[in-house]
Amino acid sequence: MTLLQVDHLRTAYGVVVVHRDVSLTVDQDEIVTILGPNGAGKSTLLRAISGLLRPKNGIIRFDGKDVTGLPADRMAGIGVVMVPEGRRIFPDLTVLENLRLGAYCRKEGDAIEADIRLMESYFDVLSTKRNAKGGELSGGQQQMLAIARGLMARPRVLLLDEPSLGLSPMLIKQVRSVINDVRTKFSAAVLLVEQNAGLALAVADRGYLLQYGQIVASGPIAALRDHRLMHELYLGQGRGAR
Amino acid sequence: MEIFIQQLVNSLSVASVTILIGIGITLIFGLAGIVNFAHGEFLMVGGMITWFLVTSGLNFFLALVGAMIFVGVLGFIAERGLFRFTLEQPMNGFIMSIGVSVILQHVVIRVFNEVQKTIPDPIGKVWVVGGIDIIAMRAIVVLLTAVVVATTYFGISRSRYGIALRASIADQDTAALMGIPVRRYVTGVFVYGSVLAGLGGALMIALFPITPFTGSVVIIRGFAVSLIGGLGNVGGAVAGGLILGLVDGLSAGYGSPEWTDAYSLVVMIVILIVRPQGLLGGTLGPRAT
Ligand SMILES: Nc1ncnc2c1ncn2[C@@H]1O[C@H](COP(=O)(O)OP(=O)(O)OP(=O)(O)O)[C@@H](O)[C@H]1O
Ligand SMILES: [Mg+2]
Repeated sequence: MTLLQVDHLRTAYGVVVVHRDVSLTVDQDEIVTILGPNGAGKSTLLRAISGLLRPKNGIIRFDGKDVTGLPADRMAGIGVVMVPEGRRIFPDLTVLENLRLGAYCRKEGDAIEADIRLMESYFDVLSTKRNAKGGELSGGQQQMLAIARGLMARPRVLLLDEPSLGLSPMLIKQVRSVINDVRTKFSAAVLLVEQNAGLALAVADRGYLLQYGQIVASGPIAALRDHRLMHELYLGQGRGAR
Repeated sequence: MEIFIQQLVNSLSVASVTILIGIGITLIFGLAGIVNFAHGEFLMVGGMITWFLVTSGLNFFLALVGAMIFVGVLGFIAERGLFRFTLEQPMNGFIMSIGVSVILQHVVIRVFNEVQKTIPDPIGKVWVVGGIDIIAMRAIVVLLTAVVVATTYFGISRSRYGIALRASIADQDTAALMGIPVRRYVTGVFVYGSVLAGLGGALMIALFPITPFTGSVVIIRGFAVSLIGGLGNVGGAVAGGLILGLVDGLSAGYGSPEWTDAYSLVVMIVILIVRPQGLLGGTLGPRAT
């Protein structure tokens, strides 16, 4: 069943158009990736879906309902939750406060506390650093916290913007297993934006290749492997190659 | 020593009023980026309402509550009716707030007049503490402010809403991604700041006469206090208010009283040059504690 459906989306910052006409879908229990080089418009696409950026045109449907133009706090409330690029941990709040804010939309206190314990058992650094300020964590720890904070909302679809950015190969491996678990243990769909083709190829079922704000290819992940653009991303020319 | 203690209570009571509007200014700026120049007039209106209610026969403390409610509603109307529309253009909001401040002065002159207003000391007692005479109303002003400051501080550092508020001050977009209705927090903070300005006005008229132009003096000190502490930082506003209050008190007691305002503003300027983000940090990465 289609959970998230984006139709003919047009976005712009002022007069600078980023996407002219982008369509994509994410099914329930699916891990979908959007791959593309630096500046392709990946983050802008997620910002539009998450409600941070109002689309100029097009329709966003979630669970069959038209949610185009809903602000981000409402989108989070209905289960469309984004873990933004650069992690955006609140640096002056503690790890625990960051986690608890992730569940801001939820009312059931007991379930929230249970989820906090779940996150802490799942990402052990979160329990050892429970009372540390978010800003004191390393980049990798912040990424784990950012994902855990996103999961605290009990999303139905989790939008992840470059979770591997700046992480060591070992941590990237951990992120990979976490993304798999988002589907199996937290039963949420994932829309993963990446420049790191390796990670995306390893976890995603399906993908879209984005370049200059346009989808240039899409399909099952295996079919995208040999695309010309993939080659560039694989060779690490993605960053800065415009 | 006795003179010094009395002087201290006096300056703390003056500092209290400044701190009350400083908290509003710092929160409103920290969250919404709104530089509300009319905040001083909110205080003045609070004082005028208190004067009106007291001279109509109401008990001072009921009048004080009335002033807080009135100015809170005023703040709500100003935020929803005016400042909401300039959130994306802070400079327009700033200019607009100057307009609002002048309009409020004229409305007050129209409704009442431009003559300065006083009320009799609501308590009219002197407390003897450790052999030292202290004017009771001044002590009450300090105590009430201390309670408000402590409540605000703990509310912001501990409560769910306070934490969400700090998150919104630090990073509005990410806060919204957590489901925090940032716009509603902007309204809430604006109303809260206005209520404190109403309280400040009521307490001020209990100590000093007020004119329709009192606001423009108070606002400068309010901004000084929030800038000294770091915009967006409640603890900073309190620290800034205490510093200004002490500088005032000491200069009035031991220096040349006629330079009191100049001293405190010099302190502000020096701190801003030496520590552009205020003593406790703020502005660029605004925070609330
Ligand atoms: N706030 C903004 N205002 C104006 N233009 C912007 C803004 N943010 C991004 N852009 C432009 O929009 C285009 C797409 O940017 P976007 O951040 O979506 O790309 P991206 O694919 O996420 O890139 P990266 O891999 O570097 O994260 C770029 O040309 C960028 O310069
Ligand atoms: Mg990006």
